[in-house]
Amino acid sequence: MSTRIYLGELEELVLLMVALLNKEAYGVSIMEELKKQASREISVSAIHAVLHRLEEKGFVRSKMGGASDERGGRRKRLFSITAYGRDVLIEQRDTRAIIWNQIGNISLS
Amino acid sequence: MKHNEIKTPQWIDSIIDTLAPAHFAEEIRGDLYECFRMDLEEKGIRTARRKYVWRGLGFVFKRFFWKKTPFITSNSLTMILNYFKMAKRSLLASKGTSFINIIGLVTGIASALTVIAVIRYETSFDTFHSKADRIYRVVRISGEDMSEFRSGISFPVHRAMRDEIAGLNDIAAMEYFGGAYVDVLDTKGNSERKFREEFGFALVEPSFFKVFDFAQTNFKWLAGNKEKAFDEPFNTVLTSSMAKKYFGNEDPIGRTIKIQQKFDCKVTGVIEDFPPNTDFPFTVLLSYASVPTLASKGVYDDWFSVNDSHHVYLRLPEHMSKEEMEKQIAKIHAAHTPKELHESRHYLLQSLSELHHDARFSNYSRRTISRETILGLSIVMLFLLLTACINYINLATAQSTLRSKEIGVRKVMGSNQRHVMLQFLTETFVIVSLSAFAALLVADAILITFQSLLNVTFTQHVFTDTTLLLFLLIIVASVTLFAGFYPALIISRFNPVTALKNNLNLQKPSAFSMRKVLVVFQFTITQILVVGTFIVMSQIQYFSHVNMGFNREGIISTRVHSRNLNTLETLRNKLLANPDVADVSYSYTLPSGVKRNRSYADIGRTDANEMKDYLVYEFVSIDPSYLGLYDIKLLAGRNLMMSDSIGNILVNKTLLKNLQLGTPNEAIGKELKRSDGERSTIVGVVDDYYGNSLKEQADNIVMLIQRTEYATLSIKLNVKESESLQSVVDGVGQIWLETFPEYIFNYTFLDENIKAFYVQEEKYARLFQMFSIVFLLIGLLGLYGLISFLANRKSKEVAVRKVFGATLMSIMILFSKDYIKLIALSFILSVPVAYYLLNDWLSHFANHIELQWWLFILPGLGVLLVTMLIVGMKMLNTARINPVDKLKYE
Repeated sequence: MSTRIYLGELEELVLLMVALLNKEAYGVSIMEELKKQASREISVSAIHAVLHRLEEKGFVRSKMGGASDERGGRRKRLFSITAYGRDVLIEQRDTRAIIWNQIGNISLS
Repeated sequence: MKHNEIKTPQWIDSIIDTLAPAHFAEEIRGDLYECFRMDLEEKGIRTARRKYVWRGLGFVFKRFFWKKTPFITSNSLTMILNYFKMAKRSLLASKGTSFINIIGLVTGIASALTVIAVIRYETSFDTFHSKADRIYRVVRISGEDMSEFRSGISFPVHRAMRDEIAGLNDIAAMEYFGGAYVDVLDTKGNSERKFREEFGFALVEPSFFKVFDFAQTNFKWLAGNKEKAFDEPFNTVLTSSMAKKYFGNEDPIGRTIKIQQKFDCKVTGVIEDFPPNTDFPFTVLLSYASVPTLASKGVYDDWFSVNDSHHVYLRLPEHMSKEEMEKQIAKIHAAHTPKELHESRHYLLQSLSELHHDARFSNYSRRTISRETILGLSIVMLFLLLTACINYINLATAQSTLRSKEIGVRKVMGSNQRHVMLQFLTETFVIVSLSAFAALLVADAILITFQSLLNVTFTQHVFTDTTLLLFLLIIVASVTLFAGFYPALIISRFNPVTALKNNLNLQKPSAFSMRKVLVVFQFTITQILVVGTFIVMSQIQYFSHVNMGFNREGIISTRVHSRNLNTLETLRNKLLANPDVADVSYSYTLPSGVKRNRSYADIGRTDANEMKDYLVYEFVSIDPSYLGLYDIKLLAGRNLMMSDSIGNILVNKTLLKNLQLGTPNEAIGKELKRSDGERSTIVGVVDDYYGNSLKEQADNIVMLIQRTEYATLSIKLNVKESESLQSVVDGVGQIWLETFPEYIFNYTFLDENIKAFYVQEEKYARLFQMFSIVFLLIGLLGLYGLISFLANRKSKEVAVRKVFGATLMSIMILFSKDYIKLIALSFILSVPVAYYLLNDWLSHFANHIELQWWLFILPGLGVLLVTMLIVGMKMLNTARINPVDKLKYE
C-alpha cells in the first residue's frame, strides 16, 4: 500500500463492528454492539455518518435488507466489510503489533 | 405489540422524508423507529419521544444527509448538464451571432409581453365586481331599422323597473356629467379654494355600490356611513385623492363643497380611489336624490326625453335570464308609453363585459377597444414572436456548418439523432431563457415609459404579475420548440462521416430555400406594417392640414358665465381694446372641435307634413362677427345682424342640397318650417364647413341669433413675433377675470380642440410606427447576421475572385443581389395585403386620401434602401479585404 490509508479511531471501531456482526451490521445493531463491546455511546446519526464515509472509502459495501416489524416495516441497509476493508484492518493491527513488539516489556513505571 | 399505536413525532419524520434522498429516509427512519421502541420499553413515552427528536435532528446536521444521490449518478442528468455547458461554450464562441440572436429575441419577446400586458389590461375592465357576469346595462336601440345604439335611458324607466319587476334588487341609475367648478367652503361658508375639474363628477343611486362592489380590488369605504351616505339630495362622497386635494389633511366629513357656484354639497363619505381599469371614472359622487332638482322641469318623469349620460345598470336576479328580463322591461315600457314610442324604441340589455369593447354604445370613460382590435394586436404579437424565431432559425441553420465536426465526433462517440437534437434544443433554451429574462426588464421599462401612449395605467410591475410570468414561461417553451426544432433537426441529421471530413455543404438547395422562404415571410410582414404606417400617417397629415371650411389658427375659446347682454358687450369692448385681440365673437358653441355642444331640431320645407319630410339639423346661435372671425364663407345673401329675430336664418350648402332649395341665390328669401310649426326665412347661405371630424360628412346647419344662448366666447389673437403666446393669453385671461372674478379662466386653442378628434388615429399611427420599427429592426438584425456569416464563410472565395480580377462592385453585386431579390419579392407580396387592409381602414372615414401607387412604392423603396445599406456595408468590408491576408495561410 503505497499511499497511507487514514482510518480514524471511531471509523476503525465501526469497521470492526461491521466485521464482527457479519451481515447483520446496520445502524442500530452497530450502535448496540459498540455499547456492549467498547462501552461507547455513539448517536445513531454519527454511526450513519461513519458508515457513509467508510463506504465512500470502499471499506464496506451495503445493500438494502429485509423489512421487519420492529422497524415499522422499513428496510435496513446491511453493511458488510470488503476485502479492502479487511486488509486495512489487518494492516492497522499489524502496524500496532509491530510497534508493541518494539516497545517490548516496557516498564510501566 | 401495544407500542405500535404510539406515534413517533410527526414533524421529525416529515423533515427527514422531505429533505433526505428517498433511499436514506427509509433506513434512517427505520433505525430511529427501532431506537424509539427500545427507549419506549426502558424509559417511557416522553423520554422516547424526546430522544427521537434529538436523534432525528442529529441526522440533519450530518453532511451525508444532504448529499444528493451519491450512489447512483444518473447518466442522463450528466448529459443534460453537459448540454448546458456546451450551450454556454458555443454562445461564447460565436459572440456576434449570439448577440444578434439575443437582441432579436429580446425585442420580439419584450414587444410580445408589452402587447400581452396591454391586452390583459384592456380585458380587465370592470371584471372585479361580484357576479360581474350577471351585471347588465340597459341600453336603448331605436329607429325603424334598429340602427341607433345609445346608452341613455329616460329617467322614469329604472324607477318603474324597480317597482314592477319582482326580485330585481340590484339596479342602479347614474348620471355622469364629467367636469365642474368646485369651490371648497370653509366652516363659515366662504369659498376657500377654487378648482375646475375636467372629469369625475357623477350622480349615483345608493345602490351603485351594491351593483358595483369592486370586490376583488382594494376598494373600501374610508369614512362615512356606507348605508346612509347618499340619502339626502347633494350628499357627496369623495374619493380619497379628491378629499386630499380639497381638504388636505383636514377631516372632510361634514364639510361642504359648492359645485357650479350653485349647489352646496355636503361631504358624507370618503372612499378609496377607483382602480384605473374601470369604465366608471368617478371621483366625486353626488347623491341621485339631487336629480329632481337638477333636471329640467318635467324631464324627471318624462318617458320620451333621454339623456345619453344617464345610464342604468342591474344585476340579474338568480332565477332570471337576460331574455326574460328584456321581456319584462318591454312590458313595463309598453304599459307607460304610447305606441309610437315603444314601437320605435327598445330597451335591451348589454352585458357588462361588452361595455369596454362595444363601440356602438359609448361609456363614461369614453374608451372602448373592439374585440377585433384585440384580435389584431394578438396577431401582431404572434408575428413578432414569429419573426424573432425566424431570425434564430436562419442564423442557427447557417451556423450549423461550423458545428459539423463537433456533431461528427458526438455521433461517432455514440450519440444518436435524438441526443443531438436535445443538445441543440438545450442550446436554444438557454438563449431563449436569457432573452426572456432581459425582455422582462425591457417590457417593464416600456410599459412604464409609454403608459400614456398605450393609454394604460399600471399599478404593478410586470415581474410581480404572476399571470404575465406564466405567459412568459409559455413563450419561452413555445419559442424554444419553434425556433429550435428545425435547426436541431437539420443539424442532427448530419452524416458523421461527411461531417468529420468537413466537406459538408449545408447550402444544399433544400436547406437554403427554406431560409429564403422564411426571410421573404419575415419581410412581407415588415413591409405591410411599414406601408401601413406610411399611409396612416399620410391620412393624419391630411386630417390636420385639409381646409375644414373655417379658420382655426390663433383662436382661443372660453366660456361665459352670464346671459346679460350688457355684461357681454362690456367684455367685448374691453377685449377689443387689447391690441393683441383681433376679433371677438359670442356664440352658443364652437364651429368644430371635441369640446363642443350640439343642439338639434327638425326642419323642412313649408309643405312638409310627415316626420319623414323633415330633416335633422344642428342650430347654432351666433353673433354678427362669428362668420368673419372664423372665415366662414358667405355664398349668398347677407350676414346676420344683432337686430335680426330668430326667424331670420343662415343655412349651409348641405342643408340647401338636402332640402332641394336650388342654388344659394335662389334660396334667399325662401321660408322653412320647423317641426314645431315655427317659420324661418333664409337670409343667407354659407359654405359648408366640417363641424365634426373629417371622419364624418358635413352636417345640416342653421345659424341664427339667439342672444340668450351665448355660452362660448371666441377670441382671435393677433400675436406679434416679439410676444410670447402665453403672455398674450394671460392678458386676455386677466380681462376675462375682471368680468367673472368668481370663476377660473379656462381656455382651449381651437386647433388643439380639433386635433383631439384624431387622438385615436394618432395612437394607431404611433402604434403602427412602433411595431414597424420593431419588425424592421428584427428583420434587419437577422439579415445582418446572415450576411456577416456568409461574408466570413466566403471570404476565401472573395479573395480568389479578386486575385482573378473581380472589381469591388461586381463582388458586392454578386453577394447582395440574392437578398435584394428576396426583399423585392416580399414587397410585391405585401402590396395586395396592405392594400386590402388599408382600404378597409380608410373607408371608415368620410374624407380620406386616395390609395395611390406612390404611397406603396415610397415606403417599399425605403425598406429596400435600408436593407441595401446594411447588406452593402457588410459586403464592402469583406470585399475590401486584401486577398493576401485570406489566402496566405495555406
